[in-house]
Amino acid sequence: MIKKRCMFTAVIIMILLIMGCTQSKDNTDGNPENVLQQEGNMEFKYAQNFNVDYYKGGYSIISVSDGTRYLVVPEGQDVPADLDKDITVLKQPINNIYLVATSSMCLFDALNSLDAIKFSGTKAEEWYIENARSAMEAGNIIYAGKYNIPDYELIMSGNCNLAIESTMINHTPEVKEKLKELGIPVITDQSSYETHPLGRTEWIKLYGLLMGKESEAKQIFDKQAGYIEELANKDKTDKTVAFFYISSSGNAIARKSGDYVTRMIELAGGNYIFGHLGDPESATSTVTLEMEEFYATAKNADYIIYNSTIDGELSSVEELMGKNSLLKDFKAVQNNNVWCTGKNMFQETTHFGLMISDIHRMLTDNDNDLTELNFIYKLPAADGEKSDGKK
Amino acid sequence: MEYFFYTKKLTVGYNGKPLIKDIEINLKKGKILTLIGPNGSGKSTILKSITKHLKSICGTIYIDNKSIETMSNKDISHKLAVVLTDKLKTELMTCKDVVSTGRYPYTGMLGILSEDDNLQVKNAMELVNAWDLREKDFTEISDGQRQRILLARAICQEPEIIVLDEPTSFLDIHYELELLNILRTLAEKRGITVIMSLHELDMAQKVSDLVMCVKGEYITHLGTPKEIFQKDLISELYDLSNGSYNPMFGSFEMERTKGDPKVFVIAGGGTGIAEYRTLQKKRIPFITGILHENDIDYQLAKDLSSEVFSEKSFEPISEPIFQSALKRMQSCDIVINCLKSYGEINRKNKALYETALFQGKKIIENADEL
Amino acid sequence: MEKSKSTRYIRYIITLIVLIILFALLILLNIKLGSVDVSVKDIINILFHGSGNETDYNIIWKVRLPRMMASIILGGALALSGFLLQTFFNNPIAGPYVLGISSGSKMMVAMAMIMILSRYHSVNSAVLIIAAFAGAMLSMGFVLIISRRVKSVSMLIVCGVMIGYICSAVTDMMITFADDANIVNLHNWSLGSFSGTTWRDVGIMVSVVLPTSLIVFLMSKPIGAYQLGESYAKNMGVNIKLFRIMLVLLSSFLCACVTAFAGPISFVGIAVPHLVKSFLKTSKPLIVTPMCFLGGSVFCLGCDLIARTLFAPVELSVSTVSSIFGVPIVIYIMLKKRVH
Repeated sequence: MIKKRCMFTAVIIMILLIMGCTQSKDNTDGNPENVLQQEGNMEFKYAQNFNVDYYKGGYSIISVSDGTRYLVVPEGQDVPADLDKDITVLKQPINNIYLVATSSMCLFDALNSLDAIKFSGTKAEEWYIENARSAMEAGNIIYAGKYNIPDYELIMSGNCNLAIESTMINHTPEVKEKLKELGIPVITDQSSYETHPLGRTEWIKLYGLLMGKESEAKQIFDKQAGYIEELANKDKTDKTVAFFYISSSGNAIARKSGDYVTRMIELAGGNYIFGHLGDPESATSTVTLEMEEFYATAKNADYIIYNSTIDGELSSVEELMGKNSLLKDFKAVQNNNVWCTGKNMFQETTHFGLMISDIHRMLTDNDNDLTELNFIYKLPAADGEKSDGKK
Repeated sequence: MEYFFYTKKLTVGYNGKPLIKDIEINLKKGKILTLIGPNGSGKSTILKSITKHLKSICGTIYIDNKSIETMSNKDISHKLAVVLTDKLKTELMTCKDVVSTGRYPYTGMLGILSEDDNLQVKNAMELVNAWDLREKDFTEISDGQRQRILLARAICQEPEIIVLDEPTSFLDIHYELELLNILRTLAEKRGITVIMSLHELDMAQKVSDLVMCVKGEYITHLGTPKEIFQKDLISELYDLSNGSYNPMFGSFEMERTKGDPKVFVIAGGGTGIAEYRTLQKKRIPFITGILHENDIDYQLAKDLSSEVFSEKSFEPISEPIFQSALKRMQSCDIVINCLKSYGEINRKNKALYETALFQGKKIIENADEL
Repeated sequence: MEKSKSTRYIRYIITLIVLIILFALLILLNIKLGSVDVSVKDIINILFHGSGNETDYNIIWKVRLPRMMASIILGGALALSGFLLQTFFNNPIAGPYVLGISSGSKMMVAMAMIMILSRYHSVNSAVLIIAAFAGAMLSMGFVLIISRRVKSVSMLIVCGVMIGYICSAVTDMMITFADDANIVNLHNWSLGSFSGTTWRDVGIMVSVVLPTSLIVFLMSKPIGAYQLGESYAKNMGVNIKLFRIMLVLLSSFLCACVTAFAGPISFVGIAVPHLVKSFLKTSKPLIVTPMCFLGGSVFCLGCDLIARTLFAPVELSVSTVSSIFGVPIVIYIMLKKRVH
């Protein structure tokens, strides 16, 4: 009898769970057209995860790919009545921002809008963006706790009127709900889902809109786009590149084919070593590979770019091989073409164009003394040594 | 008179495997039934079946004409109380707390004791002479005291039957007597029926109205102490090949030493007992005589001595007996003379002694010298 | 005679008074202390007149108060759950999680995170709460099913430990196959926290924990009988089968509630009953049960206060703090028992 009751409750619970998931799918579109008059929309070259519609009177509605919508109300204007309930109102000027999405700090910095940020979810010493770090050290931006246990009191006391979260917040939905309960609107930055690297950079236009600096945003973006256009005329090389890191459990974590990092490599004229890695439908951008599997495919990559943003920068190829001795057989290791990203890579969203040109130089420049570029550096064979030819 | 407690074709065992079959007990109110038998014979099994801790395999148990199967746990708690061998690991409970739990079937929903309940507890504890222990922690008292507390607990449950499993196992003689006395009083004065198992046969003999022998697949005997405590019955019950039972004293003696005896003990009137025991300990076979059949020495001699020369009670030692004793003494080397004085009916023992002396046999007073 | 009875009652009353004082004190501290300084005068206005600065109002009513309520209710629930299981198993280090509940919850939460978050980008917090609760009930269900076939009660602990292992193994397997990004927060969930409690959560907690605690209190009599062991309890009329089930159900419910809303919080359930009993010098359930609840609330209020204010804005996990205070207590008790 108890068994039956258990099964029954289990079934009910499963049904509730399933109901819960369906909540988060795309919602219905309520038309703000009843209240506002559309005047046009923002143009995008690469970004696919947000959209902006312009309306008469200076209003604009941002629609993010996770189904959320925001109405940006210019300073001094009224909030229109009868607005759809699921549209969050953001009144300009927007300031005292609580910023958790690390990739957008760079965009705010480029827009010279750091003063709009009051709280950060990352500690001072973990920022590689100079201005951000110094702002925190000067006390202009305050650390407000980890993203999953923020200090609500602190944030509220600073009159925060916007929280910009990263997709990590989806794992702790109660934080999002709490912030909303406290009257703080939340935008979840979806730029990590952009497949084109410049798609990420293009989010500067969203933040530019919020800050009232749309033209500056466009300018910055166009410059980066320029780097790409330059390279578009160059020939594609046939060099292959492997981009990965070794996790603590000994597996290789590589990027999904089609993800923005692999696109950066392609745009730089290289070829990502994995043709069809990962499930294009899946939301995650990394793929875990067992070392042997990885070895079989990536062994022949011409270049290795090691992703040091997760567990720290490497100082030598020797250190890399310490992670797994199989790497010794890799073509890139034997030919001394191992590079490493700086830890700041994911934080430097505004410079992706430059990053791509870095990679292009890595692939095409035959100068053996070239060991340092803007965002990647070549690993010497052993600590302290200068890297030289074949072993 | 009606039986208060009886069983019909009761079969008990564990996991559906019958251990003891067809148990038929008929016990009147206010009587004490004791189960005896070797370890592992199933005494505890029977007791557990009676208290419904174990499901009986078949048959019925009746208390006051009602089958216990038809009674709920609650009904039974009003009629039957137990004292078990389980080691209790209580925490921060005083003795009074432990005894108070016996009032459980009578208290209200939250278990708060009323005036009357407290009085019952007090009476029960006074009955077992444990009232002065009431504030002590239950884990800090001696085994003897603990048993008394548990008995008090059972008493204040106001049962009509008390079932005890080896209640005297951990007790020294002082407390054992005390406990059994209390049980006897309960039975006589309050008409409480007692069912228990005991190891100590002498106690079982003294305290019980009815005794049940548990051995093998069936109950071997059920009867009064007089019927049960017989030499052969007990020897068989406990497989006594290495000793013997003396129903007169209710005691056990160790095994008779085998071999060709070379020692003759002249004894009588209780003088020989110590010597017999010493010889037996030293594993020296011996012969003894001439004893009268109503002499104390005779009882022990029958169990320990290889050969006993005896005369009928109250009769002076006759000539033929004397002669055969004398003859037998010839083949012995050592004579232990226990008697210091002689009376009319055992004067011939003096002659035995003088003959031994004359024959140059080694004569000692004490078996320790051997 | 009379003297010792009254000394006993005096002890109970003193313990009660001490607990109430601590309770009141910690409530006041919890309302007053935090990252933001709100003056006492403002607090009084906010609490009783509903007036005041909007930010401060929200801080008090929406951040501090619900969190405080969670500490009180869930702390009490944990302590009660621990007391029940310690009595039932006659084992001083039994705790609410001895039946494998936290492993079950973690497993279901991991499943929810992996299955749902990898397909859809976001999820309602209610889903994770329900998942945790469901996981707890699942573990409990297994224990109940096995308890019907098991003779000795200590086998249930073995059973709980085994279930804990199985659930952990399944969880680890899921973690292996999942992408790092999906389960990175599972570790954080396992640390336990009262942060982010809303009044909706409090409402649910109250409606689950209070009735359950009341039932536990009303079961003081059979629990007391049980303290002499199962055999005696049975003889005194307690329905052992039903009692076992009730006990597992009640303690699991309390524990599941805590785990669902705050994640697993260690040591409160083990340490508080011992503390309370050592002050009361009795183990009578009628007295111990309410005191345990109060004691658990006080303990959690204290731990949470420390967790959120000591290194603000960094928040320690409540489990960390409760372990730091709980472990010495448990060790002390073990040593004291040894001496006996």
